[in-house]
Parts: sequence; C-alpha cells; structure tokens
Amino acid sequence: MSSDNLEALPKGMSLFQKALSRFFKNKMAVASLFVVIFYGIVALLAPWLPIHGFEEQVLDHQNLPPSLTKNGGELLVERLRFELEDRAGRENRSLTQQENEQLEKFEAQIRSDPKHARRYLLGTDYLGRDMLSRVIYGGQISMVLGLIGALTSILIGLIVGGISGYFGGRIDSFLMRFVDILYSLPYMLLVIIFMAVFGKNIFNLVFALAGVSWLTEARLVRGMVLSLKNSEFIQAARVIGASTPRILVRHLFPNVMNVVIVFTTLRIPSFILMEAFLSFLGLGVSAPMASWGSLVEDAVGSMTIYPWRLIFPALAMVIFLFCMNFLGEGLREAYDPHSEKIL
Amino acid sequence: MMTDEIILEVKNLSTYFHTEQGQVKAVDHVSFVLRDGETLGIVGESGSGKTVLNLSILRLLPSSVTVHAGGQILYRGRDMMSLNESELQQIRGNKISMIFQDPMTSLNPYMKVCDQLMETLILHQGLDKKTAKEKSVELIKHVGIPDPKIRAEQYPHQFSGGMRQRVMIAMALSCKPDILIADEPTTALDVTIQAQILDLIRELTREMKTSVILITHDLGVVAGICDTVAVMYAGRIVEYGTVDEIFSNPRHPYTQGLIQSVPRLDGSSDHELFSIPGSPPSLVNLPAGCHFQPRCSKAMPICAEKYPPEIVNGNHRCCCWLWHRGEDRG
Amino acid sequence: MIHYVLRRLFGIIPTLIIIITLSFFIIRLAPGSPFSSERNLPPAVIANLEKKIHLDEPLILQYLRYLGDVLRGDLGYSTKHTDFTINEFIVRSLPVSLTLGVAALTLALVTGVTFGVMAALRRNTLLDHGLMALSILGISVPMFVIGPLLQLFFSVYLGWLPTAGWISSRSGGLTLILPILTLSVTDFAYIARLTRTSVLEILRSDFIRTARAKGLPERDIIFKHTLRGALLPVLSFLGPAFANIVTGSVVVESIFDIPGMGRFFVNSALNRDYFMIMATVIVYAVILLVANLVVDIIYAIMDPRVVYE
Repeated sequence: MSSDNLEALPKGMSLFQKALSRFFKNKMAVASLFVVIFYGIVALLAPWLPIHGFEEQVLDHQNLPPSLTKNGGELLVERLRFELEDRAGRENRSLTQQENEQLEKFEAQIRSDPKHARRYLLGTDYLGRDMLSRVIYGGQISMVLGLIGALTSILIGLIVGGISGYFGGRIDSFLMRFVDILYSLPYMLLVIIFMAVFGKNIFNLVFALAGVSWLTEARLVRGMVLSLKNSEFIQAARVIGASTPRILVRHLFPNVMNVVIVFTTLRIPSFILMEAFLSFLGLGVSAPMASWGSLVEDAVGSMTIYPWRLIFPALAMVIFLFCMNFLGEGLREAYDPHSEKIL
Repeated sequence: MMTDEIILEVKNLSTYFHTEQGQVKAVDHVSFVLRDGETLGIVGESGSGKTVLNLSILRLLPSSVTVHAGGQILYRGRDMMSLNESELQQIRGNKISMIFQDPMTSLNPYMKVCDQLMETLILHQGLDKKTAKEKSVELIKHVGIPDPKIRAEQYPHQFSGGMRQRVMIAMALSCKPDILIADEPTTALDVTIQAQILDLIRELTREMKTSVILITHDLGVVAGICDTVAVMYAGRIVEYGTVDEIFSNPRHPYTQGLIQSVPRLDGSSDHELFSIPGSPPSLVNLPAGCHFQPRCSKAMPICAEKYPPEIVNGNHRCCCWLWHRGEDRG
Repeated sequence: MIHYVLRRLFGIIPTLIIIITLSFFIIRLAPGSPFSSERNLPPAVIANLEKKIHLDEPLILQYLRYLGDVLRGDLGYSTKHTDFTINEFIVRSLPVSLTLGVAALTLALVTGVTFGVMAALRRNTLLDHGLMALSILGISVPMFVIGPLLQLFFSVYLGWLPTAGWISSRSGGLTLILPILTLSVTDFAYIARLTRTSVLEILRSDFIRTARAKGLPERDIIFKHTLRGALLPVLSFLGPAFANIVTGSVVVESIFDIPGMGRFFVNSALNRDYFMIMATVIVYAVILLVANLVVDIIYAIMDPRVVYE
C-alpha cells in the first residue's frame, strides 16, 4: 500500500479553501476585513504619512477643537474673540477700542509665526499634541500589543494543550487540574496588582496579559488533539502505515491551525480590550507612548469640555474591535456554518 | 385484517430541495395507496428519498428549503397539502403518528418519560393530568417495559436503546392513530433487539387495527411483517406489489439485485457476496432516462433515453422497459 | 450530591490559599513599601512604622503570620485609610458591590436571554441581524467608554440622571441606573449570542422533530422543549460572567464614584497598601468560588444527565 493513499483522507487545506469561498459570500465580514486591512496599512505606513509627530507638543495649541478648514492660529484667534465677545455680551456692551486692538495685535502675532499654520483634523490634547496622529500611533501600539498578546497566549496554550492532549494520562490530569484552578481565579485582579507593583512597561504588560489568558486556548487545543487523536482517519492512517511525524504534520497540524486562525482573530480584540482596560486604570503603556486606552483615560476627566479628545480614540477603537469581532465571527461561520461555539 | 378501504392515497407527489449545487428531486412523482389495516414497506438505499417521502406526508420538512412541487396526499379524502398548520397539528400524533430511527436522540433528554407521553394524551384526547399520568404508565406497561411506575418517572438516558424505542412506539400509538409511519425503527438497534421491536410493532398495530408505513433498507424486515412493498430508487418507486409477489417474482433489476444481495446462511462459504455494482446517483445530476440504468446489467439503449412507463399487472406494478417490451410481444 | 457539595466547599480552601499565596508574594516581591511615598517622615519613624506591621521580619514569617490572621478572620489594617479596620471596610462596601454586581448580572441575563431567543426565532431576518450586530457592538465597546459616554449623554446633556454616587436621600435609586447599565453591557452581549446559538442548535435536534410530529403547537415546542436545554450553556457561562463583573466593577466603581470594594483597588496596589489589596482579593475570590459552586449545583439540577458523586 503506497502512502499516497493518504491523499484520500481529509486534508486541512481543502477545508481551508472551502471555508474561504464561504467566507467571501458574507458581505459584512468581507467589509470588516477591508476595514481591518485599512487600519493595518495606516498603522504600518504611519511614519511616512503626512501627519504631525505624535509627541510634538505645541503648548500654545492646547485643547483645540477638530477642524477641517481652520488652522491652529485661526482657532486661537477665534477662541480669543469668543472670550472677549462673551465677556462683552454679559456686560451688555460691544467690544472696546482696547479689546479690538488686542485682537488685531494677536492676529498679527499669529500670522507671523509659521507654527500656527498647523492644521489639526481631530483637534489637540492638553499638551497641544495632534489628536489624529495620537490616534493613529495609539492604534499602532494597541494593535501590536493585541497581536503579540494573542500570539503569545496561543503559543503557550498550544504547547500546554498539545502536551496535555497528546500524552494524556497523569500529565493531562495534572495540567487540566491546574487550568481549572487558574480558571476560577479573578485573574484580571492579579494582573492589576502585578502591573501596579512591578511597574508599567511593555514587557510586564505582555507577560502579565499572556500569562493569564492562555487557559482557554490550552483547553481548546487539548480538546482538539484528543478528538483528532482518536478520530477515525488518524487510525486509518496508522493502519496504512503512516509514521507519527507524518500524521502530525499532514493531518493534525492543518486541522488545528484552522481553528487556531479563527481563534486568534477572535482573541486579538480581547487583548486590545484588556490592554485598554489596564491603560485606563493608569497601568498600561506610559507616556509619551499612547494606546487607545490611555488616550481615553487622558480624555475622561475633561470630556464635557473637550469631548473630541474622548470621542475620536473611542470611536477608532470601537470600530476596529467591532470589525475584528465581525471578521472573527465570519471566519468561524465560514469554517463550520453550524457550529458557533463561544470559545 | 386488511380491508379495502383506502385511508391514505399519495398521488404523484414530488418534493424538491433547493441546494447550493442545484435542485434535488428527492421525491419524484410518487404514487401509492394505503388501506385500512395494511402494513406497507418502503424499501430503498439511503438517498432513495424514502425518508423525505415520509416527512412529506406529515409536512414536517422545513419550508425554507423544501418545495412541494406537485401531487396530493389524500388522508381520508382530505389533501394534506391544503391544510393549515393548526389542522395539521390536530392530525399529527393523533391520527397519523411517526416514529424515528434513532431513539437516542429522538426523545427529549430534559423531560421525564411520562411527561413526554402525557403531552399527546392531554393535547389530543383532552385528558386531565392525573388521568394522563395513569394512562402513560399503562402505555409503558403495554409496550413491555417492566416496573412501569418507576420507569415513568425516569429520564430517557436511563433507558436502553430498545426500551427507548418502545417508549417512542408507546408515544406514537397513545392516541390510537389510523396510520403509523415508522422510519427505519430498528436500524439503530442491536440485532437481537430488532426482532423484539418489530414484533411489538406488529402486535400492537394489529391489536389497534392501525395501518403502518414501514421504511427500511432491510428486506428481511419487509418479509417479516409487511403486506405490501414499494421499492424506491433515486426518488421514484420502481416496483410495487404484495410481499409474496415481489419476493417470488421480482421484475425490476434493482429489486432483483436487492434480493440477491441478502447473504444466505445456506450458501456455500466461498460463494462471493453479491452487491449491485456502482452507487446511487446524485439526486442533482440524475441520468436521463431510467435512473437505475447506469448500474443495470440488463440495460437496453432505450433505458438511457426515456424514463420507463409504469407497467401494471394486477397488483404488481413496475417501471422497467424490459417488461414493456415483454408486453408488446404479447 | 451532598458529598459533592461538601467536597467542593472544602476544596475552596486550598484554592483560596493558592490565591492568597500568589497575591502575597507578587505584592511583596515588588519594590517599595507602604511608606515609601511619605517623604516628610524621617527614616527612623518610617522604620518604626514598618516594624509595627512586622515588615522587618523575614518574608516567610510575615506570610505565616498573615495566614494565621486570615484564618482567625482578622484582615488587618489599611495603611492608607487609617480610620477603620479592613473588616469594617468590607462590611460597609461589600453589600454595595454585591448589589451592583448582582443587579448588573440579572439585567444582562434577562435581556440577553430575551434578545437571544427572539433573534433565534426570527432567524436571518432584520431583527436577527440587528440584534446580533448590537451584541457584537456590546463586546467591542469597553465599559470605560460606555460609562463616560452614558454620563455625558444622560447626565450632562439631558440632565435626567445623576452623574455619580450611590443611593442617597437626594436622588434615591436613580443613581444606580447608569452604573448597572454600564456593568451589564458586556455580559448581555455574550449571553444574547450564546442563547441564540443554543436555541438554534436545539431546534435542529431530533427530539424537536419528534415534538412536531406529535402535533404540539409551536409555543409548547419553544417553551417546554427548547428552553430548558438551550439555557444550560448560558448557565455555564454565569461563572465567567460573574468574573467579568468583578473585574468591571473596579472600573465602574471608580468612574461613578461608588463606595464599593473595587473603588480603591488600583490605588491600594499603587500605594502598597498590602492588607487592603490582599483582603479585596480574598473576598472577591471567595465570592467567585462560591458563585461557581452555586452555578454547578443549579446545572446539575437542570440537566438530569449530570450526576455528581
């Protein structure tokens, strides 16, 4: 019996192709894919985009509202004019000669300084930093952290789950008991404690997040390994005489990878959320770096006066997460239209 | 036992599905009658359309994918196809009942057995809870389950496969229906239990004078308890007649093949087992002409061109060009 | 079953000890001490203060001492808030957090299940797609965005509801609305989707076909046959759902200035208020472990196939 007969057994690749064709029929999911790709491209090309630096502070330009047409200087002039007219209005008079002169002098000052020609599409924050670039660079950080976190925890989960499922027996029972105990812990609390006491830097962040969230992945992988281990086509392969590595590579691996792809897509939003959560508590990325979560945290205190500082990062984050989730759902349905297990 | 009164008449029934690959003609121009007290066996391989046929009778197919493409189902003269949902609900479980193949999954695992039995009694016979409970215990006893009172309070997972099927039978016969449709009732059971269940069905239906439509792929079952047989292939009935006739004088090559395929205990041990070559056609891409022609050892040129007409010979009907020409020759 | 419950109850103790140990050593191994931010105290005074709470002893000894205290029910003193013992703090703040949490979970459960069932019954209609998009939105918007936005909208712009605080004589129960709403959104989204999937799954099963073949009206099929099985996965989710609420309450309590246990949590960690953090973790852990046990018991009652020995 030649080992070519293995070709007749279900292969991971054909499953992938079928899923792909089903996926593309789902319009919303495809739309979400494009949005996500768009975000990715913007994040990648950020250093070359015609936007201001995200760290540049122009203290004169603090808390400017977003504007498509007016530049920084014009907004400052407007603000001064508004203040003066407001005071005059309350005192029931029009502007005095002195005030008008003040305005003109200010305008001249503005025109002479080139930095006031800067435009801020999404406004500025409390240090005069451009919100558009903050949101873009913040997105970069959020997305990268989300990806790294998801990949790390999946890696850990793959290893632990794989070992547990493949070897079974006492190793399996021990590892699963361990997972069960950890599952019932309020782990975000421990992460909060961890970040608070060990200081906030990227390594701690990824370590803490990935370190506590590999549990679901491990369970999932173990379940898959167990069912595949006993499934009929593996046994059939054995009967034909395929060797263990061949079985693993040709059959176990592609099937597991298919599920892992879907799962990763769904996990990235969770990680971004967790990181944003920590940043909101002041325990995530530290200045001058920003993530969407830290931008929201900056903005909450003064959201009634400067709502754009909250709205734009929040909107950017929510849209991204929504599309990632939709994408993940679309992938999951594409692979198995009837199974919608909440993982 | 079997009267001449026709209680169910299926006339030219066609049921098609819409799938991604195209239109599936699961049931195509099927006609038969069922008399009061008769046990009709419908035989065919998987994919022959026999299950779809039965679900069509009670209109249990989801309307989103199924299309009733033609024909009538006359139960005591009323066309089932024209009834609305509430009229159908009065017939289901009451006048026409159905039992399914897999007793493991056909009972609600979260409800006690007596509750599931009581439902039809309360709904269709208007019994109050107490009487229904007593009746359900009686029914459990009647189908041969010991300790009925204790068993009634148990859940399906506490029963064995055979006992669960007995419960299904009790449920189906609880309102003394005119017709019992049994869709492969023994296929999922152990061989030793199969005979018991079949005996039970035969005994009870005879007692209550219930007509039975028994779907199976097992000719032995048919020989055991059926009066008449309809052989289905690829959505059509290819041969129909009394059990005696069909077994002693099978006309359609497919029927002949089926009978030949049954391993015989008295055959010599080095005699190769017979199987009909090839496999059933995809119902999306049916061959032109006779559906069985690609696998038929007696095929003639005309078989690939036109679907054979039905040849009637008393109670024996058959769709095969072989017999048409035979008739021609006088 | 009784044996199982007792076993689980006793099993809480070792898990709790693991949690205490983990938290204890994470906190202690980090640099800093409760008094490191007090610049205006001379070092001698600081040393004295530290000695008072036994910080000069070897770590293991401190650990054992703490363990002993906990077992006797003494959770110590806060180094930041000196006017009450931690036990007193917990007695005051735990009911608040519990009320908030249970209310949010109940809201999430009731609305989630209702929406999920509706979406399942009207599958592939606009209602279904709309509800499911809504629930994905619910998963995508974090609590710390919803909270402030709700405050902005209902409190500042519309003036209908108070911005923050807990039940007071002035605004009564109205203050509860926004925080409970905020806390319930994420779990509502998960529960709605889970219910929908679960109902659809059950509707596809053989025993529903049997029920239809018996002539049961659609209403009976949904409420008597489908719901019980469909709710089981939702029940299983309640454990993690409650954990979400515990985590979320840390944020919600600080946004809405609610005098619960989570409000000071982050600050306690930053201030190295050892006993406060430990106590909060222990209380939360006990609540979660007990909640998980209750869920498991209810599950066993609802699914006749599950038998605990």
